[in-house]
Amino acid sequence: MRKVFFPRTLDELWPLLESEPGAAIFSGGTDLFVKMRAGSADPGVLIGLERIGELRGIRREGDGVRIGACTSLKSVLEDPLVRSGLKVLETALKALGSPQIRNMGTIGGNVCTASPAGDTLPPLYVLRAEVEIRSAGSTRRAPIGEFITGPGKTLLGRGEIIAGIRVPAPQGLNLHHFEKVGQRKALAIAVASLAALMRISPEGVIEEARLAWGSVAPTVAVSVGAEEFLKGKALTRPVLEEAARIAEASFFPIDDIRATAGYRKAVAGNLLLRLCK
Amino acid sequence: MVERRKTYIPEIGRTVIRADAEAKAAGVEKYAADYYGEGLLWAGVRRSGIPHGRIILIDKSEAENIPGVKAVLTGADVPGANRQGIVHKDQPVLCDTKVRYCGDAVALVIAESREILKQAIAAVRVDIDPLPGVFDTDEALRPGAPLVHEEHKTGNILLQAEIRRGDAAGAFAGCDAVIEESFEVPFVAHAFLETENGIAWQEPDGKITLVVSTQAPFRDKWEISGALGIRMDLLRVIGPYLGGAFGGKDGATVQCLLALAAQHAGGRKVKMLWDREENFIAGYKRHAVKMEYRAGAMRDGTLQALHCRLYYNSGAYAHLGGEVMALGMEHAGGPYRIPHALIEGWCVYTNNPVAGAMRGFGVAQVSFAFERIMDLLAAKLDMNPLALRRKNALRRGDSNSSGVTLTGSTGIASCIDAVERHPMWRSRSAWKAEAGAFKKRGVGVAAVFNAMGYGRGLPDSAIAKVELTPAGKIRVYCGVSDMGQGNATAYFQIAGQILCQENSSIELVQPDTERTMPSGSASASRTTYTYGNALIRACEELRKRIIGRTALVLLADTVERMELLPGKVRHLGTGREVPLSGIAAMMSEQDRTCIQQFIMPVAGDSLDTGKAFFIGFPHLLFSYAVHLARIEIDELTGRIEVKDYLAATDAGRVMNPQAYEQQVQGAVAQGIGYALHEEVLMMEGRVLNPGFAAYLIPGAPDVPEIVSLAVETYEESGPYGMKGVGEVGINGPLPSIANAAADAGGLHITRAPLTAERILEALAQAGKKNGGKRK
Repeated sequence: MRKVFFPRTLDELWPLLESEPGAAIFSGGTDLFVKMRAGSADPGVLIGLERIGELRGIRREGDGVRIGACTSLKSVLEDPLVRSGLKVLETALKALGSPQIRNMGTIGGNVCTASPAGDTLPPLYVLRAEVEIRSAGSTRRAPIGEFITGPGKTLLGRGEIIAGIRVPAPQGLNLHHFEKVGQRKALAIAVASLAALMRISPEGVIEEARLAWGSVAPTVAVSVGAEEFLKGKALTRPVLEEAARIAEASFFPIDDIRATAGYRKAVAGNLLLRLCK
Repeated sequence: MVERRKTYIPEIGRTVIRADAEAKAAGVEKYAADYYGEGLLWAGVRRSGIPHGRIILIDKSEAENIPGVKAVLTGADVPGANRQGIVHKDQPVLCDTKVRYCGDAVALVIAESREILKQAIAAVRVDIDPLPGVFDTDEALRPGAPLVHEEHKTGNILLQAEIRRGDAAGAFAGCDAVIEESFEVPFVAHAFLETENGIAWQEPDGKITLVVSTQAPFRDKWEISGALGIRMDLLRVIGPYLGGAFGGKDGATVQCLLALAAQHAGGRKVKMLWDREENFIAGYKRHAVKMEYRAGAMRDGTLQALHCRLYYNSGAYAHLGGEVMALGMEHAGGPYRIPHALIEGWCVYTNNPVAGAMRGFGVAQVSFAFERIMDLLAAKLDMNPLALRRKNALRRGDSNSSGVTLTGSTGIASCIDAVERHPMWRSRSAWKAEAGAFKKRGVGVAAVFNAMGYGRGLPDSAIAKVELTPAGKIRVYCGVSDMGQGNATAYFQIAGQILCQENSSIELVQPDTERTMPSGSASASRTTYTYGNALIRACEELRKRIIGRTALVLLADTVERMELLPGKVRHLGTGREVPLSGIAAMMSEQDRTCIQQFIMPVAGDSLDTGKAFFIGFPHLLFSYAVHLARIEIDELTGRIEVKDYLAATDAGRVMNPQAYEQQVQGAVAQGIGYALHEEVLMMEGRVLNPGFAAYLIPGAPDVPEIVSLAVETYEESGPYGMKGVGEVGINGPLPSIANAAADAGGLHITRAPLTAERILEALAQAGKKNGGKRK
């Protein structure tokens, strides 16, 4: 028998986090329950956050968007603010799991699982999203790239949860691109993925480039070198090939049953070529 | 068009709503997995977890002491021969001395609940001394290799055989073009929805009843009886509709274990239901095969010579390995005239999961090889691939590469014509030219065939039973299981056609060894052919009897002008009518029931080859198909997308257009998985992807619109001219997609599945060869 708690408010949650320090905290459970079935996780106490109203919902905040951590992936995907302004995130969400998984899973859950293959992560990196970390007495924020410290590892300390994700409006960033390579078209874990966000001048010159890759390193891979290289250039094949070559230094993929490291590395670079004009 | 009226006469040649549709949609049709019972016990298996080893000790004391554990049984508790197997009895119900693969059963646990069962299975202490294993056929054939079955006379070779026709070695010298290539296909899983399961109980008189998800309820009785030493008359097997099987439930899965559990359950019902992981680890697989081909043709494309060596990886036990290989060898030359052929086969024991029957039984594997060879030959001879195939296509009256005279319908040439006429083929050049950035398009074809029935050496028999019930309805006792393919609906149509009764007046009884008659397994594309032929005879007999007995009721001096109509018989001359219930009332039970047997014809040729096969060779009747795939390769990722698909199929006359098309579509979808990404990954016999998160079957977006053309021939021996359509469709997708991939970019493709990674590598190789600058 396991104890399972579904607090309805943050006020109900804080004392629970205090009294059940060993609890597995989840929001949706689409990752945790799979681990429990496989026997690789066996928590005695479960605390589900997804019924806490304060942690759900999407609203405009300043010039950006704030997404409650326990907002279902489906709600994020269907939200007008996301669809109008955060195309790169919307595209990634469409490729995440299946309708059933998107109904159950939440964006905060996807972030906290911190899998290198988490489909929302590369878009959140290029969107420069910030994670809002809450505990009983305090609130702090961290950029997504700092919040995730390793595969399955985050900055979350005891008694802390993530309450929301703040996404600044990607003003002027007029090229949103996301592509995921899986073993089949849908319902497949990313073997490699790429999120790109760029500002392209009317003349076709890259004024700003932000790139993030999934599944090719222990955490989302970024390449400042490639981003810098692209600045001032056009989206031509030789330029993108050179950027891919530079980015390779940031890829540290692994071999697993889905793909070899060599394939992941080759494809991660190749994905940039899709931006060829 | 689907018949949508509430009442109608199910007839031949039209699409009717499946006889089981309403009950299944409403959830009232019970699959074996739906059977529970008062005071239910659960049975489960402790698997070896080690691919090869000697059992030192099985300590069950800790497990037995867990409250709620009813029994823990080991090999020592098995009362009979403790060996199961359809042809070769080499697989223990519970291992006694050795384990030969990770899924081997070492202990059977019976418990009050699933939770206790799980705990107790884990608590059985199993001490196994590991032995070196063999996993690959080359390894297993090496002199001095560890032996999977020490007592087997020919070591790790389960069966070695050859099919010889003419003088292959000599004929190559005279060929203008010779192609030599090796191919490899992996183990794959059936991936049926309803995993292996059943429920069993023992009556006070000793009789054991099983309700099992099985393709062969009658054979199961033999299997259980032999393995456990239980008298046949003390066994009853009920086989409800299956939630899929594809060959994976043709043979013992839970049967013997459940019967054994029932003997220790004190009369209570005991249920076993494998979870998905157990299905992957312990369930049967399609054989992995290595194939070495050499084929030669004349300048005009006429095939002259074929030599191939096939290595079938049987896994730890025989199951139907020899028979699967035999069928593969029989099809190794494709649906072509080849005067000189030497086809050699080795079926080899290894410490892998057990390979067995799967849709396209040994044929899906060789289809990849011979159809790649045909395209390579076409390229070498600079011939149109369809023209090369037509030139060599078997015709009725020809002898095939085993030397069997084809006396039945042989529609391969018509299938080639149908594809050649189709816009998907005709527009191929324009279509390929329209490929977008970073895409390469290719179009490939494959001509395939699949034998029907068990072949020579054993009767492919079915016994149909049909009854006029006291209520005046027609009850068909189906002897062959329906695993979802729709043969029960075909029986429903046959009864409707001959007896002119409405759907609501025709009942189907699913296989039950006490109610239905022995009719063989649901396999080998035989279910509608063999049982259907028997049922036609039984229904015609019943029709005669009903009319004849009506004459007695009406005091008619002749049966002329007497018509069987829905619910009644009418004398057309006088207009007088008798309801069927009235006629049934005057008939004895024996009189109301008609039983007829049919045995499939076999090849008449005296063949001086294939002597090593003691059953299942050769076959006489074949279905044919030509498939066309139009694919797009993404040069950046190596992913193949199947854009369009066409299947032209000769399976005789069509009894039910929708059921026919469903078989084609299902087979093509399954075949796309075989072509693109399905593979049971193994490391030293351990399954690395035992579940659908990592063993990927195609999803809806991976399967294109499939156009199915029925190229109808008339099969004289078939019910209403039909032949089996269940398997032939699985043989086409891998070779047609592989040929399309080769066409797209000059790729060298010899290994399935065609994963994105392999294609990206092949693109790089092709680029190097052409001096291209791709990295």
